[in-house]
Amino acid sequence: MDTGSLFEGRPVITFGHETDRRNFLRWAGLVGVGAAFVAGGGLGTGTAAAAAPSTVGDLGILNYALTLEYLEADFYGEGLKANLLHGRELALVTPIADHEAQHVAAITAAIKAAGGTPVARPKLTYPSGTFGSRTKFLATASQFEELGVTAYHGQVPLIKSGAVLGAAASIAGVESRHAAILADLNGGQPFPAPIEKHATKATVLKAVTPFLK
Amino acid sequence: MSRRQFVRGELSEIPAPLALGALQAKFELADAADFADDVDVLNYALTLEYLESAFYEQGNAKGLLTGKAKTYLARIGLDEAFHVTAITQTIQKLGGTPVKSPTVDFGQSFASAKSYLTTSHTFENTGVGAYLGAAGFVKNKDVLQAAAGIFGVEARHAAIVGNLLGLKAEGGVYTGAAETGIAKKTVLAAVSPFLSQMAGKMPVGGVNTGGGSTAGIQDKALLSAGGAALLGAGVLAYAARHRESTNTES
Repeated sequence: MDTGSLFEGRPVITFGHETDRRNFLRWAGLVGVGAAFVAGGGLGTGTAAAAAPSTVGDLGILNYALTLEYLEADFYGEGLKANLLHGRELALVTPIADHEAQHVAAITAAIKAAGGTPVARPKLTYPSGTFGSRTKFLATASQFEELGVTAYHGQVPLIKSGAVLGAAASIAGVESRHAAILADLNGGQPFPAPIEKHATKATVLKAVTPFLK
Repeated sequence: MSRRQFVRGELSEIPAPLALGALQAKFELADAADFADDVDVLNYALTLEYLESAFYEQGNAKGLLTGKAKTYLARIGLDEAFHVTAITQTIQKLGGTPVKSPTVDFGQSFASAKSYLTTSHTFENTGVGAYLGAAGFVKNKDVLQAAAGIFGVEARHAAIVGNLLGLKAEGGVYTGAAETGIAKKTVLAAVSPFLSQMAGKMPVGGVNTGGGSTAGIQDKALLSAGGAALLGAGVLAYAARHRESTNTES
Protein backbone atom coordinates (compact mmCIF):
# COMPACT_ATOMS: atom_id res chain seq x y z
CA MET A 1 0.00 0.00 0.00
CA ASP A 2 1.00 3.60 -0.32
CA THR A 3 1.38 4.48 3.31
CA GLY A 4 2.29 8.02 2.36
CA SER A 5 -1.26 8.71 1.31
CA LEU A 6 -2.76 8.27 4.73
CA PHE A 7 -4.66 11.40 5.70
CA GLU A 8 -3.52 12.75 2.35
CA GLY A 9 -0.09 13.11 3.82
CA ARG A 10 -1.25 15.74 6.30
CA PRO A 11 -0.19 15.77 9.92
CA VAL A 12 -2.58 14.37 12.45
CA ILE A 13 -0.49 14.58 15.58
CA THR A 14 -0.09 17.78 17.51
CA PHE A 15 1.40 18.35 20.90
CA GLY A 16 0.10 20.44 23.72
CA HIS A 17 3.54 21.12 25.05
CA GLU A 18 6.88 21.44 23.43
CA THR A 19 8.21 18.90 25.94
CA ASP A 20 5.76 16.31 24.66
CA ARG A 21 6.86 16.94 21.14
CA ARG A 22 10.52 16.64 22.04
CA ASN A 23 9.88 13.39 23.85
CA PHE A 24 7.97 12.05 20.91
CA LEU A 25 10.79 12.94 18.59
CA ARG A 26 13.28 11.27 20.85
CA TRP A 27 11.62 7.92 21.00
CA ALA A 28 10.66 8.08 17.39
CA GLY A 29 14.34 8.05 16.67
CA LEU A 30 14.00 10.51 13.84
CA VAL A 31 16.24 13.20 15.25
CA GLY A 32 19.92 13.29 15.82
CA VAL A 33 19.98 12.91 19.56
CA GLY A 34 17.76 9.89 19.20
CA ALA A 35 17.85 6.67 21.05
CA ALA A 36 21.53 6.45 21.83
CA PHE A 37 21.40 9.75 23.65
CA VAL A 38 18.52 8.62 25.78
CA ALA A 39 20.14 5.29 26.44
CA GLY A 40 23.19 7.13 27.70
CA GLY A 41 21.09 8.95 30.23
CA GLY A 42 22.14 12.35 28.95
CA LEU A 43 18.74 13.92 28.97
CA GLY A 44 19.43 17.24 30.62
CA THR A 45 17.50 17.70 33.82
CA GLY A 46 16.80 14.76 36.02
CA THR A 47 13.08 15.22 35.97
CA ALA A 48 12.98 15.25 32.21
CA ALA A 49 14.93 12.03 32.10
CA ALA A 50 12.61 10.34 34.53
CA ALA A 51 9.55 11.31 32.55
CA ALA A 52 10.92 10.49 29.13
CA PRO A 53 9.13 7.67 27.40
CA SER A 54 11.13 4.52 26.90
CA THR A 55 12.79 4.57 23.52
CA VAL A 56 15.01 1.57 23.16
CA GLY A 57 14.64 -2.15 22.98
CA ASP A 58 11.35 -3.86 23.52
CA LEU A 59 10.03 -0.99 25.60
CA GLY A 60 10.71 1.34 22.71
CA ILE A 61 8.85 -0.99 20.40
CA LEU A 62 5.94 -1.12 22.82
CA ASN A 63 5.85 2.68 22.95
CA TYR A 64 5.87 2.79 19.19
CA ALA A 65 2.97 0.35 19.13
CA LEU A 66 1.22 2.37 21.81
CA THR A 67 1.36 5.52 19.71
CA LEU A 68 -0.17 3.72 16.76
CA GLU A 69 -2.84 2.22 18.95
CA TYR A 70 -3.60 5.65 20.40
CA LEU A 71 -4.06 6.90 16.87
CA GLU A 72 -6.31 4.03 15.91
CA ALA A 73 -8.38 4.15 19.08
CA ASP A 74 -8.92 7.87 18.72
CA PHE A 75 -9.68 7.56 15.05
CA TYR A 76 -12.39 4.94 15.55
CA GLY A 77 -13.80 6.80 18.52
CA GLU A 78 -14.25 9.91 16.40
CA GLY A 79 -15.56 7.91 13.46
CA LEU A 80 -18.19 6.10 15.45
CA LYS A 81 -19.29 9.35 17.07
CA ALA A 82 -19.99 10.70 13.61
CA ASN A 83 -22.71 8.07 13.26
CA LEU A 84 -21.89 7.18 9.69
CA LEU A 85 -22.42 3.44 9.84
CA HIS A 86 -25.44 1.23 10.22
CA GLY A 87 -26.43 -2.39 10.31
CA ARG A 88 -23.77 -4.96 9.55
CA GLU A 89 -21.12 -2.31 8.94
CA LEU A 90 -21.66 -0.80 12.35
CA ALA A 91 -21.62 -4.26 13.90
CA LEU A 92 -18.29 -5.02 12.24
CA VAL A 93 -16.56 -1.73 13.03
CA THR A 94 -17.72 -1.28 16.64
CA PRO A 95 -15.61 -4.19 17.94
CA ILE A 96 -12.61 -2.79 16.08
CA ALA A 97 -12.86 0.39 18.12
CA ASP A 98 -13.11 -1.73 21.26
CA HIS A 99 -10.05 -3.73 20.28
CA GLU A 100 -7.93 -0.65 19.67
CA ALA A 101 -8.93 0.81 23.02
CA GLN A 102 -8.03 -2.49 24.67
CA HIS A 103 -4.69 -2.49 22.90
CA VAL A 104 -3.94 0.97 24.29
CA ALA A 105 -4.78 -0.13 27.82
CA ALA A 106 -2.91 -3.41 27.55
CA ILE A 107 0.26 -1.99 26.04
CA THR A 108 0.30 0.85 28.56
CA ALA A 109 0.01 -1.66 31.38
CA ALA A 110 2.72 -3.82 29.86
CA ILE A 111 5.15 -0.92 29.62
CA LYS A 112 4.51 0.07 33.21
CA ALA A 113 4.80 -3.52 34.40
CA ALA A 114 8.20 -3.70 32.78
CA GLY A 115 9.30 -0.53 34.53
CA GLY A 116 9.07 1.68 31.48
CA THR A 117 7.38 5.00 30.85
CA PRO A 118 4.53 4.96 28.35
CA VAL A 119 4.56 7.63 25.67
CA ALA A 120 1.99 10.36 26.24
CA ARG A 121 -1.30 10.25 24.42
CA PRO A 122 -0.84 12.44 21.37
CA LYS A 123 -3.37 15.07 20.41
CA LEU A 124 -4.83 14.31 17.06
CA THR A 125 -6.34 16.45 14.38
CA TYR A 126 -7.67 14.99 11.20
CA PRO A 127 -8.06 16.63 7.81
CA SER A 128 -11.55 18.02 7.45
CA GLY A 129 -13.84 15.54 5.83
CA THR A 130 -12.17 12.49 7.35
CA PHE A 131 -15.40 11.78 9.18
CA GLY A 132 -17.61 13.54 6.68
CA SER A 133 -18.92 10.42 5.02
CA ARG A 134 -19.10 6.69 5.42
CA THR A 135 -16.89 6.30 2.37
CA LYS A 136 -14.15 8.55 3.64
CA PHE A 137 -14.18 7.08 7.14
CA LEU A 138 -13.99 3.51 5.95
CA ALA A 139 -11.38 4.26 3.32
CA THR A 140 -9.15 5.95 5.87
CA ALA A 141 -9.75 3.13 8.34
CA SER A 142 -8.66 0.62 5.74
CA GLN A 143 -5.43 2.50 5.11
CA PHE A 144 -4.88 2.76 8.82
CA GLU A 145 -5.29 -0.96 9.41
CA GLU A 146 -2.98 -1.90 6.57
CA LEU A 147 -0.42 0.49 7.98
CA GLY A 148 -0.81 -1.03 11.44
CA VAL A 149 -0.28 -4.52 10.09
CA THR A 150 2.92 -3.56 8.28
CA ALA A 151 4.11 -1.69 11.38
CA TYR A 152 3.74 -4.69 13.68
CA HIS A 153 5.34 -7.03 11.20
CA GLY A 154 8.23 -4.65 10.78
CA GLN A 155 9.04 -5.05 14.47
CA VAL A 156 8.74 -8.83 14.65
CA PRO A 157 12.44 -9.60 14.05
CA LEU A 158 13.53 -6.79 16.37
CA ILE A 159 11.70 -7.90 19.49
CA LYS A 160 13.89 -9.54 22.07
CA SER A 161 11.47 -10.84 24.65
CA GLY A 162 9.32 -13.80 23.81
CA ALA A 163 6.52 -12.36 25.90
CA VAL A 164 6.54 -9.11 23.97
CA LEU A 165 6.72 -11.03 20.72
CA GLY A 166 3.75 -13.13 21.70
CA ALA A 167 1.78 -10.11 22.74
CA ALA A 168 2.67 -8.13 19.63
CA ALA A 169 1.89 -11.05 17.36
CA SER A 170 -1.44 -11.68 19.04
CA ILE A 171 -2.34 -8.04 18.45
CA ALA A 172 -0.99 -8.04 14.91
CA GLY A 173 -3.25 -10.92 14.00
CA VAL A 174 -6.24 -8.93 15.16
CA GLU A 175 -5.11 -5.97 13.06
CA SER A 176 -4.96 -8.32 10.09
CA ARG A 177 -8.56 -9.31 10.70
CA HIS A 178 -9.54 -5.66 10.87
CA ALA A 179 -7.64 -4.90 7.69
CA ALA A 180 -9.36 -7.69 5.81
CA ILE A 181 -12.84 -6.70 6.93
CA LEU A 182 -12.29 -3.04 6.13
CA ALA A 183 -10.93 -3.88 2.70
CA ASP A 184 -14.07 -5.89 2.12
CA LEU A 185 -16.30 -3.05 3.30
CA ASN A 186 -14.45 -0.74 0.93
CA GLY A 187 -14.85 -3.09 -1.99
CA GLY A 188 -11.10 -3.65 -1.96
CA GLN A 189 -8.84 -6.67 -1.72
CA PRO A 190 -8.88 -8.31 1.73
CA PHE A 191 -5.90 -10.47 0.78
CA PRO A 192 -3.41 -8.09 -0.83
CA ALA A 193 -0.47 -10.46 -0.39
CA PRO A 194 0.02 -14.10 0.61
CA ILE A 195 2.41 -13.00 3.36
CA GLU A 196 1.90 -9.79 5.32
CA LYS A 197 4.17 -6.97 4.32
CA HIS A 198 6.29 -5.12 6.83
CA ALA A 199 7.51 -1.57 7.17
CA THR A 200 10.11 0.19 9.26
CA LYS A 201 9.23 2.51 12.07
CA ALA A 202 10.52 5.48 10.11
CA THR A 203 8.25 4.68 7.17
CA VAL A 204 5.23 4.22 9.37
CA LEU A 205 5.80 7.37 11.38
CA LYS A 206 6.27 9.37 8.24
CA ALA A 207 2.89 8.18 7.08
CA VAL A 208 1.14 9.47 10.17
CA THR A 209 3.33 12.40 11.08
CA PRO A 210 4.72 13.93 7.93
CA PHE A 211 5.68 17.11 9.73
CA LEU A 212 8.40 15.22 11.56
CA LYS A 213 10.41 15.06 8.39
CA MET B 1 -11.00 -27.76 20.50
CA SER B 2 -11.87 -26.92 24.02
CA ARG B 3 -10.38 -23.88 25.59
CA ARG B 4 -9.88 -25.95 28.68
CA GLN B 5 -7.35 -27.90 26.73
CA PHE B 6 -5.27 -24.84 26.27
CA VAL B 7 -2.35 -24.55 28.52
CA ARG B 8 -1.49 -20.97 29.10
CA GLY B 9 2.09 -20.16 29.64
CA GLU B 10 4.98 -18.21 28.46
CA LEU B 11 8.13 -18.74 26.53
CA SER B 12 11.19 -20.09 28.12
CA GLU B 13 13.37 -17.06 28.57
CA ILE B 14 10.68 -14.58 29.39
CA PRO B 15 10.29 -12.60 32.55
CA ALA B 16 6.80 -13.48 33.62
CA PRO B 17 5.10 -10.25 34.50
CA LEU B 18 5.95 -8.33 31.36
CA ALA B 19 3.58 -8.39 28.50
CA LEU B 20 1.79 -11.63 29.07
CA GLY B 21 -0.05 -10.75 32.20
CA ALA B 22 -0.82 -7.24 31.16
CA LEU B 23 -1.76 -8.02 27.61
CA GLN B 24 -3.53 -11.25 28.37
CA ALA B 25 -1.98 -12.41 25.18
CA LYS B 26 -2.99 -15.98 25.77
CA PHE B 27 0.24 -16.98 24.14
CA GLU B 28 -0.04 -20.68 23.91
CA LEU B 29 2.91 -22.59 25.09
CA ALA B 30 3.62 -25.78 23.37
CA ASP B 31 5.75 -28.30 25.11
CA ALA B 32 9.44 -27.70 24.75
CA ALA B 33 9.70 -31.15 23.22
CA ASP B 34 7.30 -30.23 20.44
CA PHE B 35 9.92 -28.81 18.15
CA ALA B 36 13.58 -29.69 17.90
CA ASP B 37 14.50 -26.77 15.66
CA ASP B 38 13.20 -24.30 13.09
CA VAL B 39 12.89 -26.98 10.44
CA ASP B 40 10.64 -28.90 12.77
CA VAL B 41 8.40 -25.89 13.22
CA LEU B 42 8.37 -25.29 9.49
CA ASN B 43 7.46 -28.88 8.72
CA TYR B 44 4.61 -28.61 11.19
CA ALA B 45 3.46 -25.48 9.38
CA LEU B 46 3.97 -27.14 6.03
CA THR B 47 1.72 -30.02 6.95
CA LEU B 48 -1.04 -27.61 7.94
CA GLU B 49 -0.56 -25.62 4.76
CA TYR B 50 -0.73 -28.80 2.70
CA LEU B 51 -3.99 -29.63 4.41
CA GLU B 52 -5.40 -26.18 3.76
CA SER B 53 -4.19 -26.06 0.20
CA ALA B 54 -5.71 -29.45 -0.62
CA PHE B 55 -8.89 -28.42 1.14
CA TYR B 56 -9.40 -25.38 -1.06
CA GLU B 57 -8.25 -27.15 -4.18
CA GLN B 58 -10.93 -29.75 -3.69
CA GLY B 59 -13.56 -27.40 -2.31
CA ASN B 60 -13.23 -24.78 -5.00
CA ALA B 61 -13.59 -27.46 -7.65
CA LYS B 62 -17.03 -28.41 -6.32
CA GLY B 63 -18.78 -25.32 -7.65
CA LEU B 64 -20.53 -24.65 -4.36
CA LEU B 65 -19.88 -20.95 -4.16
CA THR B 66 -20.91 -17.90 -6.12
CA GLY B 67 -20.15 -14.21 -6.13
CA LYS B 68 -17.90 -12.78 -3.48
CA ALA B 69 -17.53 -16.08 -1.64
CA LYS B 70 -16.27 -17.75 -4.78
CA THR B 71 -13.84 -14.94 -5.49
CA TYR B 72 -12.51 -14.82 -1.96
CA LEU B 73 -12.06 -18.55 -1.52
CA ALA B 74 -10.28 -18.78 -4.84
CA ARG B 75 -7.82 -16.22 -3.57
CA ILE B 76 -7.48 -17.99 -0.23
CA GLY B 77 -6.67 -21.20 -2.08
CA LEU B 78 -3.92 -19.40 -3.97
CA ASP B 79 -2.53 -18.01 -0.72
CA GLU B 80 -2.34 -21.47 0.83
CA ALA B 81 -0.62 -22.89 -2.23
CA PHE B 82 1.87 -20.05 -2.03
CA HIS B 83 2.49 -20.85 1.63
CA VAL B 84 3.24 -24.46 0.74
CA THR B 85 5.80 -23.37 -1.82
CA ALA B 86 7.35 -20.70 0.36
CA ILE B 87 7.71 -22.94 3.40
CA THR B 88 9.09 -25.80 1.33
CA GLN B 89 11.75 -23.54 -0.12
CA THR B 90 12.59 -22.13 3.29
CA ILE B 91 13.10 -25.60 4.72
CA GLN B 92 15.37 -26.45 1.83
CA LYS B 93 17.36 -23.27 2.34
CA LEU B 94 17.88 -24.25 5.94
CA GLY B 95 19.17 -27.62 4.82
CA GLY B 96 16.14 -29.53 6.03
CA THR B 97 13.90 -32.04 4.33
CA PRO B 98 10.36 -30.89 3.70
CA VAL B 99 7.60 -33.31 4.58
CA LYS B 100 5.51 -34.41 1.65
CA SER B 101 1.86 -33.70 1.20
CA PRO B 102 -0.39 -35.68 3.53
CA THR B 103 -3.22 -37.84 2.37
CA VAL B 104 -6.46 -36.10 3.08
CA ASP B 105 -10.14 -36.81 3.09
CA PHE B 106 -12.46 -33.98 3.94
CA GLY B 107 -15.53 -36.14 4.36
CA GLN B 108 -18.75 -34.17 4.24
CA SER B 109 -17.04 -30.80 4.25
CA PHE B 110 -18.15 -30.11 0.70
CA ALA B 111 -21.75 -31.19 1.13
CA SER B 112 -22.91 -27.60 0.87
CA ALA B 113 -21.63 -24.08 0.60
CA LYS B 114 -22.27 -23.63 4.29
CA SER B 115 -20.40 -26.74 5.34
CA TYR B 116 -17.53 -25.77 3.08
CA LEU B 117 -17.30 -22.28 4.57
CA THR B 118 -17.78 -23.55 8.10
CA THR B 119 -14.94 -26.02 7.75
CA SER B 120 -12.82 -23.34 6.13
CA HIS B 121 -13.47 -21.05 9.06
CA THR B 122 -12.34 -23.71 11.50
CA PHE B 123 -9.27 -24.45 9.44
CA GLU B 124 -8.24 -20.81 9.26
CA ASN B 125 -8.72 -20.13 12.95
CA THR B 126 -6.79 -23.28 13.74
CA GLY B 127 -4.02 -22.09 11.46
CA VAL B 128 -3.89 -18.73 13.21
CA GLY B 129 -3.59 -20.40 16.59
CA ALA B 130 -1.06 -22.91 15.36
CA TYR B 131 1.31 -20.27 14.05
CA LEU B 132 1.00 -18.19 17.18
CA GLY B 133 1.50 -21.24 19.35
CA ALA B 134 4.67 -22.19 17.53
CA ALA B 135 6.13 -18.72 17.01
CA GLY B 136 8.07 -18.78 20.24
CA PHE B 137 10.10 -21.74 19.05
CA VAL B 138 11.46 -20.07 15.96
CA LYS B 139 15.07 -19.06 16.34
CA ASN B 140 15.89 -17.65 12.92
CA LYS B 141 14.56 -14.11 12.58
CA ASP B 142 13.92 -14.41 8.85
CA VAL B 143 11.88 -17.51 9.45
CA LEU B 144 10.03 -15.73 12.22
CA GLN B 145 9.25 -12.82 9.93
CA ALA B 146 7.86 -15.13 7.29
CA ALA B 147 5.88 -17.22 9.75
CA ALA B 148 4.38 -14.11 11.31
CA GLY B 149 3.52 -12.83 7.85
CA ILE B 150 1.71 -16.04 7.02
CA PHE B 151 -0.01 -16.01 10.40
CA GLY B 152 -1.44 -12.58 9.64
CA VAL B 153 -2.81 -13.71 6.31
CA GLU B 154 -4.48 -16.71 7.94
CA ALA B 155 -6.13 -14.24 10.31
CA ARG B 156 -7.41 -12.29 7.30
CA HIS B 157 -8.83 -15.47 5.83
CA ALA B 158 -10.53 -16.39 9.10
CA ALA B 159 -12.16 -12.99 9.44
CA ILE B 160 -13.43 -12.87 5.88
CA VAL B 161 -14.81 -16.40 5.93
CA GLY B 162 -16.48 -15.68 9.26
CA ASN B 163 -18.08 -12.67 7.66
CA LEU B 164 -19.17 -14.65 4.61
CA LEU B 165 -20.93 -16.99 7.00
CA GLY B 166 -22.69 -14.01 8.54
CA LEU B 167 -21.34 -14.85 11.98
CA LYS B 168 -21.59 -12.29 14.73
CA ALA B 169 -18.73 -9.82 14.63
CA GLU B 170 -17.14 -10.54 18.00
CA GLY B 171 -16.64 -14.23 18.46
CA GLY B 172 -17.25 -15.02 14.80
CA VAL B 173 -15.37 -12.58 12.62
CA TYR B 174 -13.03 -11.50 15.39
CA THR B 175 -11.89 -13.48 18.38
CA GLY B 176 -11.29 -10.64 20.79
CA ALA B 177 -8.59 -8.00 21.05
CA ALA B 178 -5.80 -10.59 20.97
CA GLU B 179 -5.34 -13.81 19.04
CA THR B 180 -4.94 -17.00 21.02
CA GLY B 181 -2.18 -19.48 20.36
CA ILE B 182 -2.94 -23.18 20.18
CA ALA B 183 -0.57 -25.95 21.22
CA LYS B 184 0.71 -28.38 18.65
CA LYS B 185 -1.06 -31.38 20.11
CA THR B 186 -4.36 -29.51 20.14
CA VAL B 187 -3.93 -28.44 16.54
CA LEU B 188 -3.13 -31.95 15.45
CA ALA B 189 -6.13 -33.28 17.32
CA ALA B 190 -8.28 -30.70 15.57
CA VAL B 191 -7.15 -31.67 12.10
CA SER B 192 -7.11 -35.39 12.80
CA PRO B 193 -10.61 -35.95 11.40
CA PHE B 194 -9.27 -35.06 7.98
CA LEU B 195 -6.54 -37.62 8.36
CA SER B 196 -8.26 -40.38 10.24
CA GLN B 197 -10.30 -41.22 7.20
CA MET B 198 -7.17 -42.95 6.10
CA ALA B 199 -6.62 -44.71 9.38
CA GLY B 200 -6.34 -48.07 7.70
CA LYS B 201 -3.32 -46.89 5.81
CA MET B 202 -1.81 -44.57 8.30
CA PRO B 203 1.50 -45.37 9.84
CA VAL B 204 2.14 -43.80 13.18
CA GLY B 205 4.66 -44.12 15.88
CA GLY B 206 7.64 -42.57 14.19
CA VAL B 207 9.20 -39.76 16.09
CA ASN B 208 11.24 -38.31 13.26
CA THR B 209 9.34 -35.82 11.19
CA GLY B 210 11.32 -36.93 8.19
CA GLY B 211 9.64 -40.30 8.22
CA GLY B 212 10.88 -43.77 8.79
CA SER B 213 7.92 -45.12 10.68
CA THR B 214 6.44 -48.30 9.44
CA ALA B 215 3.99 -49.08 12.18
CA GLY B 216 0.46 -49.09 10.83
CA ILE B 217 -2.79 -48.35 12.51
CA GLN B 218 -5.51 -50.65 11.33
CA ASP B 219 -8.25 -49.55 13.64
CA LYS B 220 -9.77 -46.12 13.49
CA ALA B 221 -10.80 -46.46 17.12
CA LEU B 222 -7.19 -46.69 18.07
CA LEU B 223 -6.61 -43.31 16.57
CA SER B 224 -9.45 -41.91 18.59
CA ALA B 225 -8.14 -43.49 21.72
CA GLY B 226 -4.60 -42.47 21.10
CA GLY B 227 -5.71 -39.11 19.90
CA ALA B 228 -3.35 -36.26 19.84
CA ALA B 229 -0.40 -38.10 21.25
CA LEU B 230 -0.34 -40.62 18.44
CA LEU B 231 -0.85 -38.00 15.81
CA GLY B 232 1.73 -35.82 17.42
CA ALA B 233 4.27 -38.51 16.94
CA GLY B 234 3.18 -39.78 13.61
CA VAL B 235 1.34 -37.23 11.57
CA LEU B 236 4.35 -35.77 9.91
CA ALA B 237 5.81 -39.12 9.01
CA TYR B 238 2.43 -40.04 7.71
CA ALA B 239 2.31 -36.81 5.82
CA ALA B 240 5.60 -37.54 4.23
CA ARG B 241 4.82 -40.91 2.87
CA HIS B 242 1.28 -41.43 1.88
CA ARG B 243 -0.04 -38.96 -0.55
CA GLU B 244 0.53 -41.14 -3.54
CA SER B 245 -1.11 -44.17 -2.05
CA THR B 246 -4.31 -42.34 -1.38
CA ASN B 247 -4.41 -40.56 -4.65
CA THR B 248 -4.24 -43.79 -6.52
CA GLU B 249 -6.98 -45.32 -4.44
CA SER B 250 -9.46 -42.51 -4.51
